[in-house]
Amino acid sequence: MTEMLNAQEIWQSQPSEGMQMSAEAIRKRATKFERKIWRRNLRESVAAVVVIVAFSYFFVTAHDIPYRITWALFIAGMVWVIVQLYRKGKPKTMPADIGSSTCLEFFRSELERQRDLVKDVWTWYLAPMVPGYVALNVAWAVNRPSKLAVMALLDVCFVVLFIGVWQLNVWAARCLQRSIDQLPSAENPR
Amino acid sequence: MAAVESTQDELYQDAASTYGAALERLARAYEADVEIRRDLLQEIHIALWRSFEGFDGRCSLRTWIYRVAHNVAASHVLHQFRARSRMLVGLEELENLPDANSGQHAADRSHALDRLLALIQRLKPLDRHVILSYLEGLDAASIGEITGLSSGNVATKIHRIKALLARQFQGEVGHD
Repeated sequence: MTEMLNAQEIWQSQPSEGMQMSAEAIRKRATKFERKIWRRNLRESVAAVVVIVAFSYFFVTAHDIPYRITWALFIAGMVWVIVQLYRKGKPKTMPADIGSSTCLEFFRSELERQRDLVKDVWTWYLAPMVPGYVALNVAWAVNRPSKLAVMALLDVCFVVLFIGVWQLNVWAARCLQRSIDQLPSAENPR
Repeated sequence: MAAVESTQDELYQDAASTYGAALERLARAYEADVEIRRDLLQEIHIALWRSFEGFDGRCSLRTWIYRVAHNVAASHVLHQFRARSRMLVGLEELENLPDANSGQHAADRSHALDRLLALIQRLKPLDRHVILSYLEGLDAASIGEITGLSSGNVATKIHRIKALLARQFQGEVGHD
């Protein structure tokens, strides 16, 4: 028992930097912190934005309607993905009622949110790209009927990539579900 | 509105002055990198300040503060865990660690603290909540209220923690 008390004592007697802020300072920091998170989220969306810019260029310079439809559908798909990522991703700031959830409830809900995000990846991440890809096949067939074999090869790569990404996320969802299943049931009243 | 803000500010000031050091220790247990830890601590303080807008007194102030801090930290761990693909373990798995003191004399307090931190940082969030609350001197009932674990579950975990700490730190921290 002596060892326990001393472990607690060693833990509690750590040197402290004494971070303390006035209410005014915390308000300023909260605003600054939100800006920081906003910039971080923006950085995370940069790749998608670059792709949208590239697709927009293809859209503007496309010579015929089928290709324009193709790029327009790809752009719409990418915008949909970004919106869904923003909505379903990591909470931008902690909810104000965070203190009313026990750690178990909060942890479970976070794991469930992440599980649902990866489990439904087909609906919000992969499927939005399918209309654009189908339109690309049509545009290709109309414009280059002699090179259908090339498109067929691309189709195979596309399908393999889709299935790969989908299965990877299914596996991640299973891992998260295992973590959820291992959590003890909430038995303690709030 | 001004009254709500004033209560919120007062509650925050109270919390920061009473539990500031504990929050710092908590952040240290959840993040080893100094820069990221500073961000995490700041995030905890901001979440705490925000949360007081909705504090209804249905639980004690201490329970509320620890819930907010642990929940923010758990969210951080989940995010970092996926980014770094680090393997976290439960208390049961840590019980199989070899005795750290075999063939080694008692070291100084800072060494003991480093090892204690390293041990805590390997734990899954819920087990980390329990061991930290225990090290902060909270009783089983309070730990149950913060974590939402049943009293039986908390008792089992504390029993494991005590055995683990005894095995890992026996002789090292007991001879001051």
